[in-house]
Formats: sequence, structure tokens, C-alpha cells
Amino acid sequence: MIKRIIIQNYRMYEKFDLELTSGVNIIVGDNDCGKSTLLEAVSLALTGRLHGRLLAQELSPYLFNERATRAYIEALQAGMAPQPPEIIIDLFLDDAKVPAALRGTNNLLAEDRPGVRIRVAPNPDFSLEYADFIKEPAKVNLIPTEYYTVDWLGFSGNGITFRSIPATASLIDATSIRLQSGADYYLQGIINESLEVRERVELSRAYRSLREQFSANPSVELINANLGGNQGDITDREFTLSIDLSQKSTWESSLVPHLDNLPFAYIGKGEQNCLKILLALKKKVTDAHILLIEEPENHLSYSRMNRLVRKIIEQCGDKQVLVATHSSYVLNKLGLDNLVLVSAVRGIRIADLPASTVDYFQKLSGYDTLRVILSKATLLVEGPSDELVVQRAYADRHDCLPIEHGIDVINVRGLAAKRFLDIARLLELRVAVVTDNDGKEPDKARERFKEYTTSAGITVHVGEDPAYPSLEQQIGAANDLNTLNSILKKSYSSKDELVEYMANPDNKTTCALAIFESKTPITMPKYINEAIDAVQ
Amino acid sequence: MPSSNSNLAIIAAAGSRKTQYIVEQAVGDPTRRVLVTTYTNENLGQIRRRIAAAAGTGLVPGNITVMGWFSFLMNQCARPYQRTLLDQPNLIRSLNFKGERNKFIPRTKARQYFLDSEFNMYRDGVAHFACEVERLTGGLVTRRLGEMFESVYIDEVQDLVGWDLNFLDHLFDASLSVTIVGDPRQHTFSTNNSGKNKKYQGAGFLDWLTERKSKCDLEPRNESYRCNQAICDFADGLYPDLPATTSCSLDVTGHDGIFEVRRGDVQEYVERYKPMVLRNNKAVDTLGLAAINFGAAKGSTYDRVLIFPTKPMLKYLKTRNPVDAGSKDRLYVALTRARFSVAFVVP
Repeated sequence: MIKRIIIQNYRMYEKFDLELTSGVNIIVGDNDCGKSTLLEAVSLALTGRLHGRLLAQELSPYLFNERATRAYIEALQAGMAPQPPEIIIDLFLDDAKVPAALRGTNNLLAEDRPGVRIRVAPNPDFSLEYADFIKEPAKVNLIPTEYYTVDWLGFSGNGITFRSIPATASLIDATSIRLQSGADYYLQGIINESLEVRERVELSRAYRSLREQFSANPSVELINANLGGNQGDITDREFTLSIDLSQKSTWESSLVPHLDNLPFAYIGKGEQNCLKILLALKKKVTDAHILLIEEPENHLSYSRMNRLVRKIIEQCGDKQVLVATHSSYVLNKLGLDNLVLVSAVRGIRIADLPASTVDYFQKLSGYDTLRVILSKATLLVEGPSDELVVQRAYADRHDCLPIEHGIDVINVRGLAAKRFLDIARLLELRVAVVTDNDGKEPDKARERFKEYTTSAGITVHVGEDPAYPSLEQQIGAANDLNTLNSILKKSYSSKDELVEYMANPDNKTTCALAIFESKTPITMPKYINEAIDAVQ
Repeated sequence: MPSSNSNLAIIAAAGSRKTQYIVEQAVGDPTRRVLVTTYTNENLGQIRRRIAAAAGTGLVPGNITVMGWFSFLMNQCARPYQRTLLDQPNLIRSLNFKGERNKFIPRTKARQYFLDSEFNMYRDGVAHFACEVERLTGGLVTRRLGEMFESVYIDEVQDLVGWDLNFLDHLFDASLSVTIVGDPRQHTFSTNNSGKNKKYQGAGFLDWLTERKSKCDLEPRNESYRCNQAICDFADGLYPDLPATTSCSLDVTGHDGIFEVRRGDVQEYVERYKPMVLRNNKAVDTLGLAAINFGAAKGSTYDRVLIFPTKPMLKYLKTRNPVDAGSKDRLYVALTRARFSVAFVVP
């Protein structure tokens, strides 16, 4: 099991540090924050391979962190002799279950721990050539990877052999289902891994004997006899047709998995994806197996996703699973307490999330928890009409809708609001809660959220005057009759009647929509504007 | 002999099945994680083959690691904690077997003291480096080894000299059982040229062991299952201070013991008895016969050998005074390869 991962100068990670737990880790983050890179880095350190090929063959200057590259080149061009950057991926493994052979202090923490590392560093053999190369710094635009070497090492400082690696990894990436001569080599790999050694040998033998039978087939024999009859026309030697029995044509290149007699490539993408994940989960090996799943929700309908997620929960057992996802549903179902929110420098996990909150979102898994987690800031409002009014208020103030600033307005009521705040508090997110005073002193409303407002990012906004219990009354109080009549295209003669119309549950949304769409200037209640300022 | 020590030194004559003992011990318990190490590649290869054969599968079992002494010191002792001395991880590259460090570099400059300009470690410093790291880390090196292996077997231990002996001391103290096997008479190679512990080289190794009685039991074995009594007696003559060897070999072939062959008769002798031809080094004129060096023959058994002796060896043939024999250990090795007969080529 991987306890901690530290990455240096790999892709978007200049310095990245994350502790992982056993079981499921759900990697969540904005686009371009490095979710896939994280999975890729784990797979790289455990297999020494990138996209199925040895890293040394895939090495390119673009694997190096851009900032590190820039700093290096600027230093070069400023006439200094900077140390060329190194890529390092260190995986710290579980002390108890890992052979001591991987133990040592050759890691970024300088601690005596077992682990594996990928290191891309300048090759001392090329130090002379490198010295030549940097004589003309103006011509250097990229890291000169041709002078680099790739080492796959234990923390002992010794090279890794497949026997010494204590954990294997399967990376399942549904976004790129690659096909190679009809068969998906990823899938073949997964099948191969999930078979036991004995089964694998049996399969190879069965396949070989099948090929041998081919040449014994009477029609093939006849054909070969005819071919042989023409001896001398083509060659003086005996000429026959037979199936290639050499090592290179193994069953992997010819056998294709079928589902209900359909070749694998012809079944739906979603089903293909599911099958890969489930096959990888089934792997019965004594070694630790680490499963890396990239966006399992891809190509899947809601109900298929539901079944898949249930299977992941049931079958992951003691396997460590890293799931990168964009789906709140996957996140809620797999358990919010397993969430790891990644940024370019670290991952934050929600430790100490109340079990009841985890449970709540597991049951009501439709809630868009990711929206809160990934927004720059969030306005929590009560009901769809409030949501529209707040959107309008924001547009009045900033000339654009909040979402364009990365600020989300989410409509939640009562208990759900507190559950969201549980998450926000632990992740130190910025959230403004807009709530009605329900005809009571505003402090009563604030009291309801007092356990959250001690966090710097969380504020509660409520109308001051108990005489105006909800947003409609508050708007009524802030604007004159003519303005409101014009916005709502009504002609009430008294404000009381108009406010009564607005607050009627049947009309609330219609009125809110009218306010949202109207070009007429409107004065927003003070607490709404304060809420908008709070998330700026 | 029951003892509380988990460490054992078997000091035994040539042909007493020393290596066989290690092979049997290593293969005996498939649950035990075992390291078998020795200095020379020839012997390492032989141990590997014999373990693979003894395991019955033709492969070295997964619980047994067979590793050369330098690989062991470099990879399992020096590398894992190199930053303690070098302030940097992953710096050591390989072994510099031929070069020697500049004598004027002080010990305090660890990087230049132990490594050459390309970060390869000088052969003379490897064991020293391992000892330093063990000391500075408060025993992490042997702690790690203790987690990796339950038993360590060292064959041809008489090759270990200099700081190797200090590291052996650390191994004796570690939480693993160490069995060392060797014959001080066969000190034909040295792992390094360090000046340290000079007095314990060769026959002096017995003194070193005697000083460590409290942590390592000493078990002498003076039976040879290889050579007949005549060869044993002749070889023992080189080391009058050490216990005599008893032959357990009773085979009689009609041409047994020590012989001299004139150069002119060599071709005929070779045709008749088909001996293995041994020489000091490849500069020796063996009359066109295929031959191997004395050192390379160590560990091997042949029915008959034909020795092209060095000048001191010729002198010893006449005087039988060990002082005249030159490098006694080489002669001892050459003699004790043969089961039935040893012939010397004389002018």
C-alpha cells in the first residue's frame, strides 16, 4: 500500500506531497489541477512505464515542470551554471508489508523508509557533452533530455526488478480506449494480470495445441500437399502453409474477449469500461494490487454507473484504489470521507468529516457536492426563487453572472445546507449562506449556523427586520410600488397586495424569474449585497 | 556442540565439503530467508549451480539470495544509507575496482575519500564506507539486513581482509545468524589492499577468530573427502603449525600420490593420465597444453592435476621447507584440487 507520494518537477507538479489511505481514495479537483497526472505518476513509479512503454523511451522535455524548466533556462541565460532539474516521483510504502530490500534513505524525506522512486536526472557519462551544450545558452529552449538517464530505484538506491516490486498497478483510463489490431492491449494486459500463473500457462498451451491441430486438419493437409506438388516452381524446398508457432504470436494477439458473442470492440464504450474495471478488481494475487481508475463515470448511464460503483465498493477489499472523478455521484457513493482535493502543490483530504454527513450524501447521492468543493466560492440559498434573485443581484453588481467568476449559487434547504457547510469548513472553502429570518430576530437565524461561522470563510446573511420574514417581503421593503409593478408587469395599488402576490408559493418562481430577466433597475436588500461581497 | 551463539565459523581443510555444507544448509529450510555470499565470481557461480541442483528445480529458490561480496557491500550496505556520509541520495554509481584514491585526501572529505570523480567507489573503501554508515546511523545497515535475511553464509571467508573484518564484526552483532566458512591456507585472493587488519590475513585469520570466541563458535574440520592421504600429508607439510588433515578417501587407482614429470615426458604423461593442467598465470609456458590458473581452480575438484610450478615451488620440492615455497597458499590450493595424483613438471 502507498502511504505517501511526493513528486518533484513532473509535469504540473513542481513540488507535490500527498498522503494516501488504504482502501478508496477519491481524487477530485478542477480541470488541469493534475488528477490524471497523479494517477499517471503512481503508475509510472510502480511499473517504470509511461503509456505502456519504458519511460526512457518516452522521455521528452515536456515531462518536466514548466516553472522548473523556465527557472533553469533563465539561470542559464543569465550566465549562471544552474543544476539541471531532476524529475523525482517517490512512493512511500507500508513498512509492515514491504520487503526490507526497498528500505533506505534515498528519498526526498531523507527518512529510513521502504519505497520506490523514479528518477530522471542528468547522466554523469555525458557531463562533457553537456558542458559543450550549455556554452551557447541563447540556443537552449528546453531541457536537454538527451543527456538524461532514467532510473527506477528502491529507496535502497538499487535498481528495481519485477521481483522486488511489492505492488502492481493497473491504470484504467476510460477516456482513451486504445485498440490494437482488433484487440485492446490494455484489456489484454488486465486479463493477463487477473489470471493466475497456472491459468496463464494453460491458456498458452491450449492455444498452441489449437494451432497445431490446424495443420493436421484434412483440408489443410490436402492444400499443403498441392502446394508441395508444385515443388520447384517456387522453391526447391518443401513449401507449406502453417500457423506461426513462434513465441511472438501468443494468444494475446489473437484471442479477443466476447460478451454475448459480440467481440469486445463492438460492445458499447461504457460496457467496455465497466468490464476493464471489474476485471482489474477481480485480480487475485498475493501481492498488493493498486487500482488506478480514471473517471469511471465516462460513457456510463446513471444506472450502469450505480452498478459499477457498487461493485467497486464490494470488491475493492484490501486493495488500494485511486479514483479520479468529475462526478459528484461517484464521490458521494464512494464516501466523501475518502475525498482528496488536489491542487498543484498538495492534496487536502477531509479528515474528521462527521460520519452522519458521509452517510447523508451516500443516501442522497444526487447532491452536487463537487460543485461546492470545486467552486472558488459558493452562495448557498433557500429555494429556486432566491437563487434567481441572488443571480440578478450579482449581475447588477459585477455585470456578469457569478458562474463566470467561478462562483456557484446552490439551492439547498435546512439540513442539507449544514451538510455542505461540514465539507466547506474542513476544506476551508468560502461560502455565504443567504437565509430568511422567518419573522424572528436575525440572531436566531445566525444562531443556527454558529458552529460554522467560526471558520473564516463561512458567513451567514439574513434580513435584519423580523417584520419582513422572507426575501419577497425584504424586496418589497427595499423598493417602491411603481418599480415593482413595472418589473412584475402588474398594477397593484398597494404594496401589501403586491408583496402578498409575490410571497404566494404559486407565484414565487414566476416573480423571481421576472426580477431576473427585467431590465428595470431594482434595489436589492442590504443583506443580499453583503452576501455577494462576502464571496468576492 | 550446543552454544548460545548464533554465529559459527567453520575452518576446514581443502576437500572437507565446506561449500557443500553451505549449499545443504541454505536449501534445507525453504521458509528461511538466506543470503549466501563469497568473493570470487568463480565460486559464486559454482554455489549458484550447486544450490539450483540441490533444490531439485534447476533454479535458485526464491528464499535464497546468492550475491557477490562486493555487490552485497555496495548494494545492501553502502547504497541504502549513502546520504549519511555523502549528504546526497543516489550518488554512488558503481565500483572502481582498479583505481586507488589519492593518499593525501583526508577522511573528513568523504566524497573524495571514498569516490572517484565519476562517483564510483574505490574498492579499498567499500567495507570501510559500510562500517562508517553503520556507525553513523546507529546500526540501520544491520537492522535492514536483519529484516531481509535470517541467515548469512559467507564462503571462502579467508579472502576477507581489512575493513571487511570490521564489518563482519557488525554482522556478528546483528540480529541474524552468520556462518562463515573458509580455510586460512587457501588465502589466494584478497577483497582489497587496505592496510587495516594486516596481521589477520592468511593464517592470522585464526587469531582473529580466537579473539571473537565469545560471539562466534569455532568449528575446525580436518577431514578431506577429496584428496587421498598422500596428497593431504604433502599439503599439510606447508603449514606445520596447523592440525593435520585426515583423508576419508579410500579409492586406489594405481597412480596415487605425488609425482615428478620431466618436461620431455609431459606429452606422454598427459596422454596417459589426462590430468588438469594448472599454472601460476598465463605467462607460464605449458608446452601448448590448455591450462587454468591456480587461483581460478579454487573450489574445483579434479581426479589428477599436473602443476607447472613456480621457481620457489621447485625449490620447496627439494627442501620441503615452507619458507622456500613462495606463495604457499597457491601451492596449497593447487595440490588439494586432486583426488588421486599430483604431478610436478620438473626440468
